[in-house]
Amino acid sequence: MLGLFQGRKETPRLGTLRQLSLFSTLSRRELRVIDGLLHERRYLKGEIIFDEGEEGQTVNVVIAGRVLICRQGEPVAGRLAQIDAGVVFGELALLENAPRAAQARAEEDCVLASLSRGDFEGLIDTHAVIASKILLQLARQLGRQLRDRSPAVDHRPL
Amino acid sequence: MTPSDIAIARPSRYLSSGPLVWGATMVCTTLLLVLLKQALWLVVPFLLAIIVYYALFPAVRRLTLAGIARETAAALVAGGFLVAGIAAMVPTLPWLAAQAVGGEEAFFRYLAGGRLLIDRSLATLEAQFEFLKQMDFHAEMSRKMSAFGGTYIQEHLADVLLGAAAWLPALLLAPFLAFFFLRDGRRFLKFLGEAVPNAYFERTLYMVDRVDDTARAYFQGLLKLTLIDTVFLALGLAVIGMPGALVLGLMAAVLAWVPFVGSILGCVIVVLVAATDFPESPWVVYAAIGLFLFVRLLDDFVFMPLTVGRSLHMHPLPTVLLIFAGGAVAGIPGLILVLPLAGVVMVVAGTIGGIVNDPRLRARHAFARLLRERRITADLQS
Repeated sequence: MLGLFQGRKETPRLGTLRQLSLFSTLSRRELRVIDGLLHERRYLKGEIIFDEGEEGQTVNVVIAGRVLICRQGEPVAGRLAQIDAGVVFGELALLENAPRAAQARAEEDCVLASLSRGDFEGLIDTHAVIASKILLQLARQLGRQLRDRSPAVDHRPL
Repeated sequence: MTPSDIAIARPSRYLSSGPLVWGATMVCTTLLLVLLKQALWLVVPFLLAIIVYYALFPAVRRLTLAGIARETAAALVAGGFLVAGIAAMVPTLPWLAAQAVGGEEAFFRYLAGGRLLIDRSLATLEAQFEFLKQMDFHAEMSRKMSAFGGTYIQEHLADVLLGAAAWLPALLLAPFLAFFFLRDGRRFLKFLGEAVPNAYFERTLYMVDRVDDTARAYFQGLLKLTLIDTVFLALGLAVIGMPGALVLGLMAAVLAWVPFVGSILGCVIVVLVAATDFPESPWVVYAAIGLFLFVRLLDDFVFMPLTVGRSLHMHPLPTVLLIFAGGAVAGIPGLILVLPLAGVVMVVAGTIGGIVNDPRLRARHAFARLLRERRITADLQS
């Protein structure tokens, strides 16, 4: 509680954030802005992060650990993807304003950094440069995912 | 559990609605007002601080957009506001001092002007309607007004003025609170997020966003409405030749923050000034009343739906009931607070209703607790 009224210090997480692909193009000052918006969440192995069909309110980045994306309630048979440290997930629900397309579970104990829809939209209004850098990184990641998952798509950029 | 099972078990929206949530909203709002009434010394500066916060927030956002750190932006904007406030006060201090010295005299002068207007109006009515003359309506009303003016007002005026002066130190808290809201609002949000279990985290973020949106839309709407009312009233009063049109317009617009009562009080003040300054021109008074009615209609049908009305999305029936309940349990602060408070309580009650009606979410929370308990007691079990 008292921490709320203490002066602001540079968090040790800043260096970690710089390593994440989503924030890799941000300057030190921009990273500080983002750090102020991110919520750090810790999940134990097996814990549900979100369910399929749930309204998505956050985009998440894995800071440590591993996340499993699977069909609802089918972590083995319905395994869809494995999200390692540094990678973003849950971005589609936020971009499309659509329900979550799959379930996310902590495959290991993990630490996530979550950015809420409200803050993400606020970022577009207030920090257009930061928002455009993040959106560009998101678009790059989506492009990579599309190429990885669709053999029909040529791996060379179009 | 399949997605279709979950779709059946889970409500489709984050916010639950229905008679239970509506009832809870009304009961909680009224109970909160009863509690807030016990701490009015803090509630009033808090309310003013929120209004200042939402008035200054766009400036802080603009500065952060320009690359200034939020703490620095908050300090710059709050400091600028304070300097502007002092700069505005300095030229008006001699006038305020003169008003303070001759305040009581001016009050009774305007009251006498109002009484003269009523006397003349009653005399005109009596001349028009025979039955009023038979009732001796004019003389009877004059006697009652004399009794009221001679005893009640003189007895209570000093108490009212002293009571208002006692509020001044508490009001100085408002800019102080507003500065910390501007500087530390985000840290408070993170602090709140850390206290919430993982299963309810997204719902809580959604709720906080909605609460902030509701309060911001309400208070910024209120400020826009005040500005619009001030401009229209000041222009109208200037056209009909009233002195101090801008001050009177601003005063009436701020008084309109109190639903129903405020608008009437604003109109009464302007009518008293018109009746005193133009004793021989009753048309000025009638024009002022007409102007107030016109601006009231514009407010209700045009400006309010575009400003404050966008924020609450409440049905008019519970809105009116809540306004009456607010006035009954907490007086004038209750009247001012009841609508934004009801908007916030409605979002919180809707979110809690959504969680209570979502067995999957509660099951996920129970499962997470079980995982933690197993982890904590793993070595004990072996």
